[in-house]
Amino acid sequence: MAELSLVLVTPERTLFDKSVASIRVPLFDGSAGFYPGRAPLVGRLGIGELRLVDASGATESYFIDGGFVQVKGTVVSVLTNAATAVSEISRKSAAVKLEEAKAAKAKSDDEFAVVARRLEKARKMLSLAGKE
Amino acid sequence: MANRRLLVKRLKAVRNIRKITRTMELIATSRFKKAMDRAAEAAEYTRKISEIVGDLGRANLKFSHPLLQKRAEEKKSVLLILTSNRGLCGGYNAGVLRQALAHFRGLKEKGIECSLEVSGKRGIKFLNFQKVSLAHSYTHFEDQPKFSEVEVLASRYVEDFVAGRIDRLDVAYTQFVSSSKQFAVVESILPIASLGGGTAVKSESSVDYEFLPSAEEILAEIVPAAFRAKLFKCFLDAAVSEQIARMVAMKGATENADEMAGTLKQQYNRARQAGITSELAEIIGGAAALE
Repeated sequence: MAELSLVLVTPERTLFDKSVASIRVPLFDGSAGFYPGRAPLVGRLGIGELRLVDASGATESYFIDGGFVQVKGTVVSVLTNAATAVSEISRKSAAVKLEEAKAAKAKSDDEFAVVARRLEKARKMLSLAGKE
Repeated sequence: MANRRLLVKRLKAVRNIRKITRTMELIATSRFKKAMDRAAEAAEYTRKISEIVGDLGRANLKFSHPLLQKRAEEKKSVLLILTSNRGLCGGYNAGVLRQALAHFRGLKEKGIECSLEVSGKRGIKFLNFQKVSLAHSYTHFEDQPKFSEVEVLASRYVEDFVAGRIDRLDVAYTQFVSSSKQFAVVESILPIASLGGGTAVKSESSVDYEFLPSAEEILAEIVPAAFRAKLFKCFLDAAVSEQIARMVAMKGATENADEMAGTLKQQYNRARQAGITSELAEIIGGAAALE
């Protein structure tokens, strides 16, 4: 049987390096799923939930903030700026972050892009936290 | 004898200092191990980035990105100096600052405007004493710099560079080669000279990748990511080197204290013996006078 393993790295540390059954990542334009035997791919990631199903059928979720995914042979590498296990996100702190993002005012186009990104991040975080 | 009391006092002081330096050595050792582990974990990210860059290179793509372009005329530059917040780490800060000042003067002679940014209280104090004005100063980078903190700086540099507000960025820090070899360097990190730390990872078989959205867009994203990782590595290197420098300095201090305590103890014993001998001589002399 074909195998699949996931390596999840951030600049600070390697969070996850194990074999899994399937993976779902947020690409820049929507979700993408990987099963064993996926053709090689390099993709840009968006903000959202990385969900994996391990060999025993249990699922794990991480909240990731942009980066890249590389599929090569049986290894899926996810490089991201920051990753947090969804179970560690509290609804309260996510809500606070959303309020902060909403309160921020943009004066220029660059700032607008930053604020929009913060809003998107906070909204996605809150929606994920709500599920747990 | 007054001399003897003095020697006892000094001996006590030296022993107390030895205790402190020994503890500091142990603390630095454990911090060094932690910092070293972090640096090793961070290396994985850099390695992966350079792997993807290598893959992009095989996709017959022309590497062109604003961050890679060397400016024909350099007018404004930024020099970021990474020093420590705390002292007692031997020549660590002095080495970095010496390199940084030499570089700063070199740029001035060439007529390039250079604004200084310093991290670490030691560097800030030194440059204030030299009456060099600083554009920015940071004191929040401790022995475990966080990526999110470094990212703020990195994003600002990228923005400034792309907008043309700065033409080059140099970092003065202590490069970590191995646990017995570190040296202060001034490294130019913007424009990026080579992606992925110079050594492209060569894989045996070239893989045909599917690029989403496209190789060009991946490149546009990965260049800043590579730069951020590089800047972060500078901070990590500096943190590891600082702990090593402190460890070595404190080890030296402890050994010196041991030696000093030995000499003082010897001096004290001699003084004590001299006292006893002279007392004996007095008693014998007194007895002889009575006969």
